[in-house]
Amino acid sequence: MKNYLFLFLALCCLCSCRPDISFKDYPPVFKTGDNQSWAKKDFNAIGWATDRDYTKNNIFWVRTKLDLTKKPVGHLGVKIEAFGAFDVYWDGKLIGKNGEVISSKAEVPGTSTSYYSIPDSLAQIGSHVVAIRASQSYLPNVQRSVNVGLSTYESLLKFPLIITSFMNLIAGAFLIAAIYYLFLYINSRSRQYTVLIFAVICFLFFALLILEYVKYYVEIPYPRFFLRLEFIGWITFALSMLVPLYFTIQFKFKWKKIVMSLLFITLVSIYILNFGHYDITAIYYSLTMWIFSLIVVFNAIYQKEKGAIIVLIALLLRVLINQFLFYDFSLFISFCIIVLCMLYLNTIQMKVIEEEYQSSLLLSSKLQLELIKKNIQPHFIKNTLTSLIDWVEESPKEGTAFIQALADEFDIINDISEQVLIPIRQEIELCKKHLSVMQFRKEINYKWEESGIDENEFIPPALFHTILENGITHSSPFEDGSMKFKLSFSATAGYKQYTFETFANNRVKLKPRAGGNGFVYIKARLTESYGDNWEFTSNENEQGWISIVKIYTK
Amino acid sequence: MRVLIIEDEARIARRLERMASNYFEQNSIISICDSVQKGMDHIENNEIDLLLLDLNLNGENGFDVLEAVVSKSFHTIIVSAYTDKAIMAFEYGVLDFVPKPFDELRLAQAFKRITNTLKTTDEPLKFLAVKKAGNIKLIDIEELLYIKGAGIYSELHLRNGNQELHDKSLETLAQLLPNSFNRIHKSYLVSLALAEKIIVQPGSKYSLLIKNGELLPIGRSKYKELKEKII
Repeated sequence: MKNYLFLFLALCCLCSCRPDISFKDYPPVFKTGDNQSWAKKDFNAIGWATDRDYTKNNIFWVRTKLDLTKKPVGHLGVKIEAFGAFDVYWDGKLIGKNGEVISSKAEVPGTSTSYYSIPDSLAQIGSHVVAIRASQSYLPNVQRSVNVGLSTYESLLKFPLIITSFMNLIAGAFLIAAIYYLFLYINSRSRQYTVLIFAVICFLFFALLILEYVKYYVEIPYPRFFLRLEFIGWITFALSMLVPLYFTIQFKFKWKKIVMSLLFITLVSIYILNFGHYDITAIYYSLTMWIFSLIVVFNAIYQKEKGAIIVLIALLLRVLINQFLFYDFSLFISFCIIVLCMLYLNTIQMKVIEEEYQSSLLLSSKLQLELIKKNIQPHFIKNTLTSLIDWVEESPKEGTAFIQALADEFDIINDISEQVLIPIRQEIELCKKHLSVMQFRKEINYKWEESGIDENEFIPPALFHTILENGITHSSPFEDGSMKFKLSFSATAGYKQYTFETFANNRVKLKPRAGGNGFVYIKARLTESYGDNWEFTSNENEQGWISIVKIYTK
Repeated sequence: MRVLIIEDEARIARRLERMASNYFEQNSIISICDSVQKGMDHIENNEIDLLLLDLNLNGENGFDVLEAVVSKSFHTIIVSAYTDKAIMAFEYGVLDFVPKPFDELRLAQAFKRITNTLKTTDEPLKFLAVKKAGNIKLIDIEELLYIKGAGIYSELHLRNGNQELHDKSLETLAQLLPNSFNRIHKSYLVSLALAEKIIVQPGSKYSLLIKNGELLPIGRSKYKELKEKII
């Protein structure tokens, strides 16, 4: 992209160096009526009007004098910008037609810009007259000036071609970007509006470039001339809304709605106040866009947003470009630079998303590890083994049962260790196995109860196992040496809820408890599977402890 | 022998109880507490000779209580799953660290250290915990000049001139302190690194001049052994 831009800039510089031709032109004069002698070079046009006036369906003539002071090396050509259908005479000789002048038949409209080749014999240094026999039966009230310019015929044909090729190149790049970002938006998991807006901006910019330069290769009859400008105007309007909007979202601008409404009002006022003045409207649109973007970017710099400085530099570049290039190019180049900035911001955004994804992967594997570690961390394994030795030494039969329970718990942990969600039944089995292991260790009569469990439900692994572990650690049994755990499930239209209750005495703590690693694990697991749509509470109640996991389904 | 077991795993507590009563045989009184709070209450209200302590009790960090119990007169043996905490435990001045899982032999070894008057651990003791105005204060043993026995207590004489009282007897401290600490008298325990020279006074009275200029009495029976060590 940058290379194209550079080439484009180089081209513009080249274009601004005019070919080796020089001429002086005089203002055109008009006369309604039709007389072949008015085409002649030496005809005296004294008394002709300086403007066309209302010619309606009449034929009128335009004459303009040109002094060729330096002849080009190549073939001489003339470029005429005028509305209507006309025949062109160079020093009295017909050199071409643009459309069909009105006669007994209706007028066939010509295009607003046309090029004619001048015979070498008539292209001498000195004074020349271009006479135009014209009619303007469409848009008769539009007083458009008649411009006649000289150049080599070759460059008259080539110049639009070069400009168009480069503009289309850029347009193509933006079309690809538009399609790419549209697909990216459609296929991404977390749909970001900035991506969609960017896709639309790219597409509109593509359309703007194509529409602007379509005039070079599509013959547009002059009655349709304003249609294109109308389209260009609306596209510029949309871009002037969307670009600042993009920046407000990207840079987390606080007063987005206020600024966007202000922008809208400003743009509409510009449209109304300058109705019909297409170029001026477009310039004001882009200026408004520039000012609003600048406000957002200054705020972003104040907020220390990433990429804000780069965007500011790009916005300021516009001033520089405006100094050196004429309107069309400066508008497109500054747009182009702004869009490049957005592309840059998008890549920053992508990088952030990528990093978030990486860290979520990292978190997932950390959680996996955490789960596996549960049963090999020294506190669990060493205490279990010590109790186990004791059981084996004292009562081998019970010891064997203990080993079996331990093996079963390990089996389940092994099965679920790589899962993100497991069937609730499997989780309950894990809890029960853990209780039978702990029963051997603590010699407490653990009881398990459940109610309303939906067998089709899934849950992150070791969620209740962790709550159960906490319950075992932080509670002491009732007088009769028993402790009860109860898991209940309920579902409403908006959420599913698991309630895990511990029926036991709470131990007196030396220090207040703030949750610890177990809660970190539970919360991380819930976030991994449900994003923000969950709630976890865990607190003391009159019968022991109560933990509630709420999963929102809407 | 009055033994307190602080252990939240019922099965393990019973195992410790059984092995302790096997080892100390008659006249052993063994109590079990399954939480830090109950254990501390027991220590406040009962005289004990030995504490068997688990470092992770119901999710509470045993190190919080370790500082408090090592300032007491009794010996502490840690029985824990966290072998990586052993060095730290020794630095605080525990008699032994028995890693889980353990058998009767290993536990008996630990018990043996209580009756063994010779220093048996090579683990570096770094701090002596003393109780001061209700708080526990850790004293770096580098700060120690010498320790003077005072009945069932000990006086810690520090480089900065201060004195602190420790609940452990001179005999008990001698079991914990590094080898550089020697009994030069029945009431004095000194780090030989600080010894300047032996001064013989009239009436074959021997004294040890230490780096701060203080003269400490040398026991008649200790003189010969000490002379060899210093020279």
